[in-house]
Amino acid sequence: MTTLPATRSAADRAAEPRRGRRHGGTRLRRRLAPYVFVAPFLAVFLAFSVYPLFFTARLSFTNWRGTGAAEWVGWDNYTYLLSSPAFWGSLGNSAALWLLIVPVQIVLGILVAVLLNNAKLKLRGLYRVAFIVPFVTPLVAVAQIWVVLFDGRYGAVNAFLGLFGIPEIGWLTTSAWAKPTLALLFLWKTTGFIVIILLSGLQSINGAIYEAAELDGASKFRQLWSITVPLLRRTVMFAVVLQTLAVFQMFAEPFVVTQGGPYNSTTTAGYYLYNHITRADLGTGAANSFLLVVLVMALSLGFVRLLRAKD
Amino acid sequence: MTSTNAVRRERPRIGSHVFLMLLLVAFLAPVAWALLSAFKPANDIIRSPLTFDPTAFTLDNYTAMFQDVPIGQGFVNTAIVLLFKGAITMFFAPLAAFAFAKYRFWGQNLAFGAVLITLMLPTIVLIIPLLLEMKTLGWVNTYQALVLPGAVDAFAIFWMRQVISAVPDELLDAARVDGCGEFAIFWRVVVPVIRPGLAGLGVLTVMNIYNDFVWPVVVASSERMATLQVVLSTLAQNITGNRIGADYATVTGELLAASSVALIPLLVLFILLQRHFINGILAGSVKG
Repeated sequence: MTTLPATRSAADRAAEPRRGRRHGGTRLRRRLAPYVFVAPFLAVFLAFSVYPLFFTARLSFTNWRGTGAAEWVGWDNYTYLLSSPAFWGSLGNSAALWLLIVPVQIVLGILVAVLLNNAKLKLRGLYRVAFIVPFVTPLVAVAQIWVVLFDGRYGAVNAFLGLFGIPEIGWLTTSAWAKPTLALLFLWKTTGFIVIILLSGLQSINGAIYEAAELDGASKFRQLWSITVPLLRRTVMFAVVLQTLAVFQMFAEPFVVTQGGPYNSTTTAGYYLYNHITRADLGTGAANSFLLVVLVMALSLGFVRLLRAKD
Repeated sequence: MTSTNAVRRERPRIGSHVFLMLLLVAFLAPVAWALLSAFKPANDIIRSPLTFDPTAFTLDNYTAMFQDVPIGQGFVNTAIVLLFKGAITMFFAPLAAFAFAKYRFWGQNLAFGAVLITLMLPTIVLIIPLLLEMKTLGWVNTYQALVLPGAVDAFAIFWMRQVISAVPDELLDAARVDGCGEFAIFWRVVVPVIRPGLAGLGVLTVMNIYNDFVWPVVVASSERMATLQVVLSTLAQNITGNRIGADYATVTGELLAASSVALIPLLVLFILLQRHFINGILAGSVKG
């Protein structure tokens, strides 16, 4: 069935749709088929995306707490959030985590990807597989391991640092260190993924450009800065957008490792949103969802603009 | 991921090797440490976290953990969700993608817009209203709630549409001439041709469903319905709740045993199917 009738000419094939089918039923079936094929997706989309979205919009203007009658409160939820230090604090925490994570990850990612893109590198395959292992592991399991590893008194990390005479650090118990510890978890978990994306970007750069640069006597660093970085910009921006979305939605890490503490220092935007559910403050939660979406979309669009403007 | 376009400049210097090796150790150490430490006596884990004494090898942490943590139930729940949600995505997503790639129909752009919107919408926006919808339907703490929302994955449609677009139209027309119905064309012509893409999608789908946490913890946190990840997220409470007066060492030992048990299936799958994983992750990176 999969062999092509080689005798049919191209003109024959082009004329086919206009000539139509012998049986009207086949043609009708062919016209109806795509509707049947996309129907399951559309059903799920309407039931579990569109309906809840409209529901959130209405909910965000009420003070509903999950039971009883909902009371219309106008813009109260929004004004409450926008004047709440806790709301801004959660955004601030996420922004701080973004600063600790994204720049480090991009620099590290480019460095590793460039090294792995050298065909003469020994153990290339091993590195590529090893770096992706963290991305494959379940986040919750790893977060639990983090709790044990970074324990102030009994953790392996402090024991290791102790070998070099470094005194115990309260990784999870001091607000100064809790954010970097979560950032480290996020970096560990996703840097391999970023390396893979950057590597695919690098492999679309034509090797001849480097040969030309080599002939012109450009140094290795000069090649990295003047060829790799500009040509990789699109891929880098893509990675930045992906990670921005991920950082602002970060939830499982603070949920398992720090429960948002100490002193709310790791209450991220995503974790703060979840707290509205546990307090059954659903109206405020709905408003918070919308504010967060607007912020995240604006950030992504901003980065995309930045990318387009220079092209 | 082929090496064809890799740059073939001179041999890398020793510094790059040292750098990559250190990174390799840093990336593998936490997992390796947890897997090994789970076999140490609980007191040794906290007293000397950096050593491993093979003569003191023990399964105590595992036996205690299986007593205290409902991890078996977690595995069963995750397996059920994997089976149903995975099957729905693996069947209906390529089917919808086939319609988008190979047909022209009224409302096509609108419907594909729906795919793109679903792709870009952050998960967290829908959590609260979706939870309320589940309450209205009486679906909180049910398998339906774990399986149905997001079952026909938008990203899977997006990716498979690209894959199916590459299938030559001549192949489909030839099948039509042979008298194949439209669904038979999908099932007997398209599916066999896109098998490599489907393998990547399958691996990615398993990984995503197995690791999913935010939605399950919100909608199915009862002990009977908790998926593996939800069970893991409240380990410490589970252990201290079932073993009154458990000290830190015992809790830590059981915690590492439980985390290891959860890690192993995916690690094995990954080692066996690396290539499909990397293909899937690469394609998956399009997801927002």
